[in-house]
Amino acid sequence: MKSLTLNHLSKTYFDPYKGTQVTALEDISLSIAPGEFVSVVGPSGCGKTTLLNVIAGFLPETSGSIRVDGKPISGPGPDRGVVFQSFALFPWKTVLDNVGFGPKMRGVGRDDRDAIAMEYLQLAGLAYAADRYPAELSGGMQQRVGVVRALANEPDVLLMDEPFASVDAQTRLTLQEELIRIWLDRRTTVLFITHDVPEAVFLANRVVILSKGRVMNEITIDLPHPRKWDELVENDNFKSLSARVLQSVRAA
Amino acid sequence: MVTSREQQARLWIKLQVAWARLHQHAPNAAAALPFVPLVLAWWLTAMLEVFPRAFFPGPGEVILSLKSLIYKGILPEYLFDSMMRLMVGASAGAAIAVPLGVLIGMNRHANSALWPPLLFFQAVGDIAWLPILLVWFGFGLTTMTFVIVYTVLFPVVLNTVLGIRSINPDLLRAAHSLGASRARIIWEVVLPGALPNIMTGLRNGLGYGWRALIAAEIIVGTSGIGFLMFDARRAGSVVEIMLGMIVLGLLWYVVDAWILAPIERATGERWGMVTR
Amino acid sequence: MGSPGSYRVSSARSLEVFLARVRSTVLFLIPLSLLVVIWSLVVNVFEVNPRIFPSVASVWQAGVDSLVDGTLVRHIGASLWRIAVGTTIGLAIGIPLGIAMGVIPAIASFFRPLVRFFSVLAGIAWIPIATLWFGYGFGAITFVIFNAVFFVVVYNALLGVSSIPMQVRDAAASLGAGRLAMIFEVLLPGALPNIVTGIRTGMGFAWRGLIAAEMIATDQGLGYMLFTARDFYKTEVIVLGMVVIGLIWLVLDRLLLAPLERVTTERWGMVRS
Repeated sequence: MKSLTLNHLSKTYFDPYKGTQVTALEDISLSIAPGEFVSVVGPSGCGKTTLLNVIAGFLPETSGSIRVDGKPISGPGPDRGVVFQSFALFPWKTVLDNVGFGPKMRGVGRDDRDAIAMEYLQLAGLAYAADRYPAELSGGMQQRVGVVRALANEPDVLLMDEPFASVDAQTRLTLQEELIRIWLDRRTTVLFITHDVPEAVFLANRVVILSKGRVMNEITIDLPHPRKWDELVENDNFKSLSARVLQSVRAA
Repeated sequence: MVTSREQQARLWIKLQVAWARLHQHAPNAAAALPFVPLVLAWWLTAMLEVFPRAFFPGPGEVILSLKSLIYKGILPEYLFDSMMRLMVGASAGAAIAVPLGVLIGMNRHANSALWPPLLFFQAVGDIAWLPILLVWFGFGLTTMTFVIVYTVLFPVVLNTVLGIRSINPDLLRAAHSLGASRARIIWEVVLPGALPNIMTGLRNGLGYGWRALIAAEIIVGTSGIGFLMFDARRAGSVVEIMLGMIVLGLLWYVVDAWILAPIERATGERWGMVTR
Repeated sequence: MGSPGSYRVSSARSLEVFLARVRSTVLFLIPLSLLVVIWSLVVNVFEVNPRIFPSVASVWQAGVDSLVDGTLVRHIGASLWRIAVGTTIGLAIGIPLGIAMGVIPAIASFFRPLVRFFSVLAGIAWIPIATLWFGYGFGAITFVIFNAVFFVVVYNALLGVSSIPMQVRDAAASLGAGRLAMIFEVLLPGALPNIVTGIRTGMGFAWRGLIAAEMIATDQGLGYMLFTARDFYKTEVIVLGMVVIGLIWLVLDRLLLAPLERVTTERWGMVRS
């Protein structure tokens, strides 16, 4: 696990339909310590998805720097794993081959990468589905595969783009608890984008509130681990933290 | 016929269920079924002499002609010639077209540079090349192969490009982010992702390659099914023309239904990429 | 997308759009112009026999001559008229039929074998029998064109409709879409990328079928012009014919079909541009 540092990061692009330059991100500076879990929330259009795309390397930054463990990034790469809202599993590969894709790109042989893939599938509780195709799985299962596919590459940083937005509400709660369990096990540095405030508070050490491309506020979440929804729903600290974050988002 | 709407609806549903079941358990029978009313209609029209017998012979006469031509050995020989030409031409065409399509679909510069000439030469068309090909190579295999390769090329390239552009961009990003190099992305993501469309392109391309072959045989040929039909036209014999057309159709049907369709089915549907 | 009151495009915007179009046309012509340059260089440098391949100048001359004496216009007119009639009928029947077939899976699977069977026969294979039935000339040729367009379009429309995710159709139904609305608001737009590809491919082959038919079944038209030039080794007329054929289709494609594809599919984000 490594640190992620953003220094005066800006991103502007030309919108052909509006005919003008649009500033998606403005002067964002953020330090994420190794092993820290940071959630980014904000109203629609605040730039949180653009932020993730720039850190992931899918979009170039206009100015400023992005460093992983002190070294600047260049383009997409296995050091920054990505989990997509649309799952983005390869429909023509089995679950096992999907998870083993990253190792395959690194040149790991079939037996070794199958073993690695199985290990991660077991971590997600999906070892039994190894030979199935993504189309045969439910949304929740597909996303779990998406998460461990990114993790199987042992990334320095894990970037998650509203990963549970396409999943039903109850499965979402389960997936959140699972994500924490996996994170406690692996202690990856995580940047988690969401518009769901309780989700952001539930998962993170720190919540960053974004608005119109700028960092508006940061709130530290000092709730103890392991966190369970049944307990936290009644927890006063959780409720007040959520309220503070929500107020901040709505004021943005 | 006075049936209540409910009875009609129920009958319609029963028909659909029966059809679906037939389709599931005996797909070949299900595929042959639509032709039965067609052949019946044909036989009836011919028998009733809706058109003069000389212009519109019936199934019976066509079958007699079939037997005679097989006996004389003409049909098998012509068939073989046509098939060989198609195989050679189509393989060469596909081998050129798919990589070309990938290049154009993935590379902005290749797209700008190659798309205009591609469209221009598709516009010129394979047939328009025949006169100059005849000047250069005369009547023969080279001319015909060129024509087939040329025809197969364009639908395959177009559909490959469409397929590539229809790939969920997240898939490309995911592969990139998981450490795949450009070459590997093409092999692991782009080609499988575009495969259903490529198959469509191949299916279309083969169909039209077959037709272009027939055209070439009609205009330029010395043997083959196309030549058979044109020769028959010269002799004014509709029966053999019809026979030629039916042989063409059946041959294609067999290749398409028993070879191409299963491949398309195995890829697209299994991966949940095309709703059926 | 866009503020509610802004339907009138500002004059600055429309100038921008016009310039963009001009720019893309120029970009389009550059590779082709390069080909012409290469052509004239090769013919000159290698001293190619004009009976094998003509020079740029001789083709140009042949073009001017045939324009002046009216023959080129006559041939072009005949070909275009035949294409117009055949294509219109083919699309008018083919698109609705293809969509109708794709909607109900049972009907689609019933007719698919028939369409497949006839789609290979489509076009040129009908020339012998068409000339027998309709005689040489307009009827037979137009029939061949109709044939060529019809089956490609039906097949692609069918494929396009069956590619629409069931969820999208269900969503429309639950939002109260009646049969007509379903067709025009869901099925037609949803199948549009495939239909447009089908039209583009179908018309491309109709054009080719036209040329083939004109080579053997008539006494005017571009195909006829092309084929008869061969008898006299007039390669410059042959190449002129090929260029004219290519240019006509290019204009058809760039000014009609490509904008259609652009306006519909790319804007709706269904195909990554």
